Amino acid sequence: MKRFHSITRRLVVSVLLLELLAAMALISAITLHERRIQLKAFDATLMGTAQSLMGAVQDAEDQDDNVMLDMRGLQLGKDAIYRVEDEHGRVLGSAGSVPVLETAFSPEPIFRNVRVTDRSYRFVVLHGTRVIDPGMPNGGVQHEITILYGTPVGRVWHEVFDAIRFFVIVTLVLLGVTAIAMAWMIRRGLSPIHELARAANLINSSDWDFDSPPGAKTTAELAPLAMALEAALARLKRSFQQQRRFTSDAAHELKTDVAIVKSSLQLLSMRRRTVEEYSRGLSLSLNDFTRLEMTVEKMLTLARLEQPVESVGSGIASPSCSLQDVVEELVYQSKPLAELKAISLCTRASSDARVPVGRSDALLLCSNLLSNAIQHSPHEGTVWIALAVDGQMAQLTIRDQGDGIAEEDRPYLFEPFYRGDPSRSRKSGGTGLGLSICKAICERAGGSIEIMNSSAGGALVTVMLPALQSSEEPATTASLKAK
Amino acid sequence: MRVLLIEDEQRLAENIVAALRETGLAVDHAADGETGSDFAEQDVYDAIVLDLMLPGKSGQKVLRDLRQARHHTPVLILTAQVGKESIIELLNAGADDYVSKPFDLGELLARVKALIRRAKGVSTPVLTVSDVELNTIHQTVSRGGRAVDLSPTEYRILEYLIHRPRAIVSKQELLEHLYDFDWEHHSNVIEAHVSNLRRKLNISGTEPLIETLRHRGYRLQGEVVA
Repeated sequence: MKRFHSITRRLVVSVLLLELLAAMALISAITLHERRIQLKAFDATLMGTAQSLMGAVQDAEDQDDNVMLDMRGLQLGKDAIYRVEDEHGRVLGSAGSVPVLETAFSPEPIFRNVRVTDRSYRFVVLHGTRVIDPGMPNGGVQHEITILYGTPVGRVWHEVFDAIRFFVIVTLVLLGVTAIAMAWMIRRGLSPIHELARAANLINSSDWDFDSPPGAKTTAELAPLAMALEAALARLKRSFQQQRRFTSDAAHELKTDVAIVKSSLQLLSMRRRTVEEYSRGLSLSLNDFTRLEMTVEKMLTLARLEQPVESVGSGIASPSCSLQDVVEELVYQSKPLAELKAISLCTRASSDARVPVGRSDALLLCSNLLSNAIQHSPHEGTVWIALAVDGQMAQLTIRDQGDGIAEEDRPYLFEPFYRGDPSRSRKSGGTGLGLSICKAICERAGGSIEIMNSSAGGALVTVMLPALQSSEEPATTASLKAK
Repeated sequence: MRVLLIEDEQRLAENIVAALRETGLAVDHAADGETGSDFAEQDVYDAIVLDLMLPGKSGQKVLRDLRQARHHTPVLILTAQVGKESIIELLNAGADDYVSKPFDLGELLARVKALIRRAKGVSTPVLTVSDVELNTIHQTVSRGGRAVDLSPTEYRILEYLIHRPRAIVSKQELLEHLYDFDWEHHSNVIEAHVSNLRRKLNISGTEPLIETLRHRGYRLQGEVVA
């Protein structure tokens, strides 16, 4: 199984690590401090015992006014090593193996750390003066006494460890409590994430409703994620629904066309008929079939146009064409259709523009719009076609004198199969894909299309397409020629 | 028998109307929901074929309005929608059957005929009254085992009468149920056809099948065996 990075674990470990470091620093400081205090106390004890030894140096009550060591009532430390000498180097008393130490006179006591038989000892060298018979006229006899006294220093460390053991135990307990508390708290703190995941888990293609749990919405860190999820799902839902509607509409459309073709042929084969009946039936069936073919073709065109545009850097020069050429050609082509209804086509092109649309697509776009305009025009009406270039954009407008468009239809005009009638009545002809195709062509080229009612009555279609810079023209022309 | 087709798709409607007429039914066609509703509520139809997607008034609404007005004409739905829910909904709203597009024309005709039969309380396509046998599929009639050659109108009159045994059927009713709007008709025409029909069925040694009740109409004698 794949190992996950756990935020909880990482946070707990980091915090524990920091806590441990802090505790270690604290314990070190305490150790140093304790050691200093214990050493001071040790030294004081050492000094005190040494002074007691000094005090034990007594008059030997002999002729030479010598001194002696009177150890009665003197308590020495465990394993203590000492040596008491007078100025003549005479040892008054000793215990243990006294190491060789610098015993030169100094007014202050000197402390030394020495190892004696594998044990750490701390010694104090104390120089003192002992006056025998101070009441004598000569002021008594002075003895310079040197005392060397040491005890094992291990005791100090023992004391230090005793002192810090408490801190170590408390620290460990604290670390444990922290770990448990943190794990619990983080899990609790992260619960909005789990809630969010649970809510997100309920989404499927049939149920897109996603309402992020309140816990996630009110968490500062999660709110952006929850909102992004909601927004993304809403967008997905919309496009999914659009897709679904398109599919269902397309199915309806195709089924109807197929039903017509099928019924035409079945009607023909219901019984034996005359040659005239057959030939009439076949030509009707062929017409029905052509309509089915057109529907399929338009659906495929729309599907092609809705494919994402290939990247610009693919090496193939993107197609372009002159909008004026296209308009002129179409006006020429549409003349017969217009003459049927005695409609005059009025063209006004102030300037030409190359637009990044393939010639066939541009023809399709304009012919869809123009035939719409002609279809909706009254008898003997006029259709105005105007082409203008406004800075970066080429603007093509087509205006008719028809009834215009109903306000409630406006939002849906470009939706596939929308016919401004819930029944999708096909009396007006067309599959209801024309405007969707126009929109797809415009948007693919980075332009836009808009339909509104003109102030003079009738519908006004405005197509905006990016005009190519003239510097690009030679290259595109060349590539077109190469085709 | 007279059928109403409510379908906005012109070519499809043309084909269905032609096919229904070829099977011996009178057919009226309404191209939108409003007209369809108006036609249907005249209550002269023996079956209604109803498309769902209609301009003006949806098929569902037409159906609901029809049932609300207590008309029990059997309704067959033409639908391009898939999905069980809508079908269940439609049947619950009072539809009797449905076919989904693209349908088989033969199946549509068979279903329409079955609906008409059922509505008249008959379950098989061959109807028998005393010794007369009427096959609604092949549109043939025989009496006592011998084939009787009838004109389409005569056949339709007999078929209608067999569907309403021992009831007095007025000329007006016959007119309403046998002719659609496209036909020129007159009550005298009915009399002539009935008279011809009676003559053709009158084979020696049998009793007259159709009884004429002056100023009231016609009545079929004998028990129908379905």
